[in-house]
Amino acid sequence: MDEIIRTENLSKQYGELLAVSDMSLNVRKGEIYGFLGLNGAGKTTTIRMLLGMIRPTSGSAFIDGKRVFADNHELWKIIGSLVEIPYSYPNLTVYENLEIILRLRFISDKGSINRVIDKLKLSSYRNIKARNLSLGNAQRLGLAKALIHNPEILILDEPTNGLDPAGIYEIRELLKVMAEKLGVTIFISSHILGEISRFATRIGIIHEGRLIQEVDTSQLDKLCRKRLLIDARDKQAVYSSLMQSGYSLSETKDGRFELLDEKAVRNPEVIATLMVHAGCPPTLLHVEEEDLESYFLRTIGIKEDLR
Amino acid sequence: MKNIKATLLPEFVKLRRSGIFWITIIIFIIIPLMMGLMMFVAKNPAIAAKLGLVGTKSSLFGRNDWPGFMGLLLQSLASIGYIGFGFVTSWVFGREFSDRTLKDILALPVTRSSIVISKFIVIVIWCILLILVLFSTGLLMGWLLDIPGLSVQLFLRFSEKYFITSFLTILICTPVAFFACYGRGIIAPIGFLIISLVMAQFAGLIGLGPYFPWAIPGVYTAPAGTEGMQLFLSSYVILALTCILGFAGTIAWWRYADHY
Repeated sequence: MDEIIRTENLSKQYGELLAVSDMSLNVRKGEIYGFLGLNGAGKTTTIRMLLGMIRPTSGSAFIDGKRVFADNHELWKIIGSLVEIPYSYPNLTVYENLEIILRLRFISDKGSINRVIDKLKLSSYRNIKARNLSLGNAQRLGLAKALIHNPEILILDEPTNGLDPAGIYEIRELLKVMAEKLGVTIFISSHILGEISRFATRIGIIHEGRLIQEVDTSQLDKLCRKRLLIDARDKQAVYSSLMQSGYSLSETKDGRFELLDEKAVRNPEVIATLMVHAGCPPTLLHVEEEDLESYFLRTIGIKEDLR
Repeated sequence: MKNIKATLLPEFVKLRRSGIFWITIIIFIIIPLMMGLMMFVAKNPAIAAKLGLVGTKSSLFGRNDWPGFMGLLLQSLASIGYIGFGFVTSWVFGREFSDRTLKDILALPVTRSSIVISKFIVIVIWCILLILVLFSTGLLMGWLLDIPGLSVQLFLRFSEKYFITSFLTILICTPVAFFACYGRGIIAPIGFLIISLVMAQFAGLIGLGPYFPWAIPGVYTAPAGTEGMQLFLSSYVILALTCILGFAGTIAWWRYADHY
């Protein structure tokens, strides 16, 4: 089956608050699906519904073709999950915490513990009590619990929280390898587009409980806006000459001109030639590309555009 | 059964690693020690006179013989026992919330009901240990103090009453588990524990003890013939229903509540 995770009009209402509204998405096998949204957008509620922790007010979620509900416990054999900040039993060591998960997963091979400890670089902490772990190592332990059974599907809620840049890179590479080499399907939430776009194959943007856009990361560059910024000493002459040549330009807040026209952005030298011929050579000619965070904020309506 | 086997051991590991287990054992050793001290003071009027308030209190304990001492043990079991067992229940269920570990054990191949049943099994075993500690330390104290009036018949009668009271007290703890889950922590069940204890005293005072679940173990310990302190078949039915409701409510909460 191609569709591994699927939701159909999934909604969750808490009193007056509609936390998730009519969410319909699907994640294909081997895909890394980045689930992006601001804090409180509905990411964690969606993830908890996918994991059977919260009952949807309406709609359904399906994983591997089976409907998700609390009693469908056989389903969790192939799923590894991490929800928000992972907490472990504080009085138990890293090894004991993993041993508990191993038992609850009916896995008899204790070698799995050592393998996942090595994979998550927790070897020097194996006998340290969970309450004495740093936030980053507690996060690694949470990931170890999610990965101990070599799951076919991973559902991770902000898994790089608390990790340092090296840790973030390491986890990113690990997830990439799992998806590319082992065909693991990964559903991962984040509020940082720049971070998630580096390894997700597809991104879904959620805002105020609604899925407002789904996009392949390969298409992201095309969706980010570009503009040509120009400036000259004689601004009036620039404006008249470019308008006469059929370009549409507007003034930015700092007194420069911007051209959003694709033809202008792709051929800034043509604009420069026109300006020189009009007797107002450019003092500034710069193609500026919208970054991913700006694109994300613009998509959810927080930042209208680059101006 | 496979599920229970898988969930039971982790519960024991959590218990073994917690300091609270040993604290409860120590408290249940101290209680009969204190009662023994009072009995010792009551047996020695000369010491009682020197000890002032302690001496006065010890005289309130009644007869300084085995029937009196065993009566004290039974009373402490019915009241302090409920607090102890209720605390144990609050801790076993409430810590999953206070440690915020619940979400990590919900999306696993084991059934949620097996986790709840394993927790109840651990609670029962823990409570049995406390019951045995109180029983053995109490009898040891009585033997060390050389309290007069012990007979095999008295011992057997006391043992029967002691263990049945313990059993009845454990039964009324299942609603505490429900409140630990509903309140998502340890505060709500402790609050429920205190309220139910106060209500039990009040129910006893107005003659409704045999019909109020949390007063029933106390009523059971009352000497035969005490007015308004007799249990009826309906009392046992009420107690059984309370236990079943608490147990079923806890399982239903794990199964149907939103875990956010």
